[in-house]
Amino acid sequence: MKKLLTMVAVLSLIVAGSAMAAGNTNTGCGLGTVVFKDTQNRTTLVQIVEATTNGTSSNQTFGISSGTSECTQPKSNVQNERLNEFVQANLDELARDISAGKGETLSTVAELMGVPSGQRDAFNSNLQAHFHQIFPAPGVEFAHVVDTIVSVSNQG
Amino acid sequence: MRRRSARPFFFFPLLLLLLLPSPARPGADAYLAELKGTAERRHLQDDRYWDILLFYKRAAGGRKSLVDDPKFFLSPDGKRDPGAELSATLDAMFDLSPAPPVRCRFPARYEWLKETLQIDTARLPAQECPEFDNTLRAINPKSASLIFAAGHMNAPASMFGHTFLRLDSAYASPLLSYAVNYAATINPKDSGIAYAFKGIFGFYPGYYSILPYYTKVREYAAMDQRDLWEYRTNLTETEVRRMALHIIEMQGVYMDYYFLDENCSFDLLFLLEAARPSVTLTDRHNGIFVTPIDTLRSVLAAGLIDNVVFRPSTARTIRRKAGEAGEVEVGMAKSLAYGDVEPSTVLDGPLPPQEKARVLDLAAEFTQYLYLKKEIPKDPYQVRYLRILAARSTVGGSPPESRPLPVPAPPESGHLVSRASLAGGARDGDSFLEIAYRPAYHSLEDPAEGFNDGSQIVFSEAAVRWYPGDETVRLQRWDLIDIVSLSPRDDFFRPVSWKVQTGFATREFPDGVESLVYEVNPGGGFAWKVPSLGIVSVLAETDLAVSGRYDRSYAFGMGGSAGIARQVSGRWGVLARARYVYGVLGDTERGRRFTGSLSLPFRLSRNRSLVLEGEHEEAPSVHAGTIRITWNAYF
Repeated sequence: MKKLLTMVAVLSLIVAGSAMAAGNTNTGCGLGTVVFKDTQNRTTLVQIVEATTNGTSSNQTFGISSGTSECTQPKSNVQNERLNEFVQANLDELARDISAGKGETLSTVAELMGVPSGQRDAFNSNLQAHFHQIFPAPGVEFAHVVDTIVSVSNQG
Repeated sequence: MRRRSARPFFFFPLLLLLLLPSPARPGADAYLAELKGTAERRHLQDDRYWDILLFYKRAAGGRKSLVDDPKFFLSPDGKRDPGAELSATLDAMFDLSPAPPVRCRFPARYEWLKETLQIDTARLPAQECPEFDNTLRAINPKSASLIFAAGHMNAPASMFGHTFLRLDSAYASPLLSYAVNYAATINPKDSGIAYAFKGIFGFYPGYYSILPYYTKVREYAAMDQRDLWEYRTNLTETEVRRMALHIIEMQGVYMDYYFLDENCSFDLLFLLEAARPSVTLTDRHNGIFVTPIDTLRSVLAAGLIDNVVFRPSTARTIRRKAGEAGEVEVGMAKSLAYGDVEPSTVLDGPLPPQEKARVLDLAAEFTQYLYLKKEIPKDPYQVRYLRILAARSTVGGSPPESRPLPVPAPPESGHLVSRASLAGGARDGDSFLEIAYRPAYHSLEDPAEGFNDGSQIVFSEAAVRWYPGDETVRLQRWDLIDIVSLSPRDDFFRPVSWKVQTGFATREFPDGVESLVYEVNPGGGFAWKVPSLGIVSVLAETDLAVSGRYDRSYAFGMGGSAGIARQVSGRWGVLARARYVYGVLGDTERGRRFTGSLSLPFRLSRNRSLVLEGEHEEAPSVHAGTIRITWNAYF
């Protein structure tokens, strides 16, 4: 009887724990979520890792966007989660690379967008020429950045 | 895998399932028994790969796993009984309860047993793991790198450097790779002493974590100003996949973290062994310390590394760009970053377009640095940074770079860190012989290659001196800790230099009496790099000496020191130091002391050096000169 009670107690704890986890699945659209996407039984550690990565990207170092853990997804590119995630987490570096027309962050974006290597220079200078459209004002949302990069590249 | 929405409906049958014995499928019991029989016959529980995956190491009375987390073991005796754990793992493969299948929880173990025992998976219950499959697909491991983050001289905790692994995918950009880090989870409320105690005696749990590599680049290269060395391994795709499976199964599993040996660096070696079991990395260490550089060396010695890429810190890049620009341009970039002038003044100014681009690039990088260092708040940063970039985007092209950024000597090219010394010399005409030993790490007179300029970290160096004249042997000094961090200041960076030294030292008292005193000597100040002189430093210092020979048993003095440290050539160095301390408390008379010294270190080879040294000391009724020649061997 004692054993059964313990078992029931443990089980209700597990169920309660899962319920809490369920309420907590959306820790943000940040970095960790891609690797740990759709995890149903996340350990506390994973939650911590996600919270930390989100914290690092948005609160401390993520300067030029509006800074809230925004979950507005870009319109034109919903299928490329990797691109969205990368742009969101590296917005400041990307802005600098686009302004200079070169850099590792920019070439990573080109790779994620599948720009052939022969067209990279044109891609870079096209984005550089449209810097004002891509980054119109402080507090820009990453969704706008991705959408504008995609539409500008399609025109160019 | 359970579906979340279905859980309430499954709840009741689930409870029943746990209360009843699992219903075996026809033939499953026989197959399980057959597999167990084969495993036993082939002594799989003693297989090296099983040891690697379960972290088993030889211990009193058999073997014991280094993993301390009970949920890592399927058998209650798993930590000490490899056979029981193996048998429990096979049992779990046939488990019909709704717990996550073994393939999801322990994918590396599952794959290895499947291959080794040629298990027919059709005869196992379904092993569906959408979560695990997604993780593996996102990481998409193809190759792997070992990353060494060089020490940041101004942070003592980082002085030894740090290592972590990187799983590289099919993408060409390393920024899309994932970093695998092993670190202790520290309670931020712990005091410094609790931290050190818990760290050394294994009271903190250590966890492996997986993070996008760009977050590590930002953490080390941009925020902490530490250079990164990326050592590309020659592990094959199959080997890297094996390692990735093992990393995934270690998520959320803790091992007690020991700062000195079972640390961030050492525990990565297990992962490399899981990738290529034919190399032995985790049995080699037999010292008190395992430092990241030891880890790197053993991985290099095992032939796992093909090539290395240097990723300079932001500070190094900014210094480099500033060095290419003229003085006026550097001044403009700084004014832009501090918001003293608007980017339009640069655009409308007389500079040629390439120089405008150079100024704005430098300004942008420095503005972001100031923000990361919290020297400018977010709101003005957003506005200023975007204005600089917007201006930059109107100046096409990029400034020419005259030559690629010079790559410093890689960390493994440095001397080994334990040191034994033999010295001969004379003090006030009395000749002596001296032997000394320290277990770690690097001092300013050691060969500089592969170490940070101007940084010294010495642990527990003891010297014994023998004067043949009076046939006495005595402990000359025992430095418990002697750290010096000289960080040059320049146009952009204004670091503080500091030192802290404590230990026993021999001091001379009036009437020629020598006695051991305990001293504590911290200092802080500034350093600059002067082209013709090297690193010039000026520090304010205090000096506490405790000994029964002082009035009131101690002398506390305040004063300062000045020094020059210069690497003259690949072989010769020069260190000149002068220090004066004035007694202010305790035995103020004998607290007064001046020392001046000049050392000329000469590098014989990577692990041998000679040092010529002269020192003069002035204190009340002490006027002594010492000359000494020292031969150092590093091992």
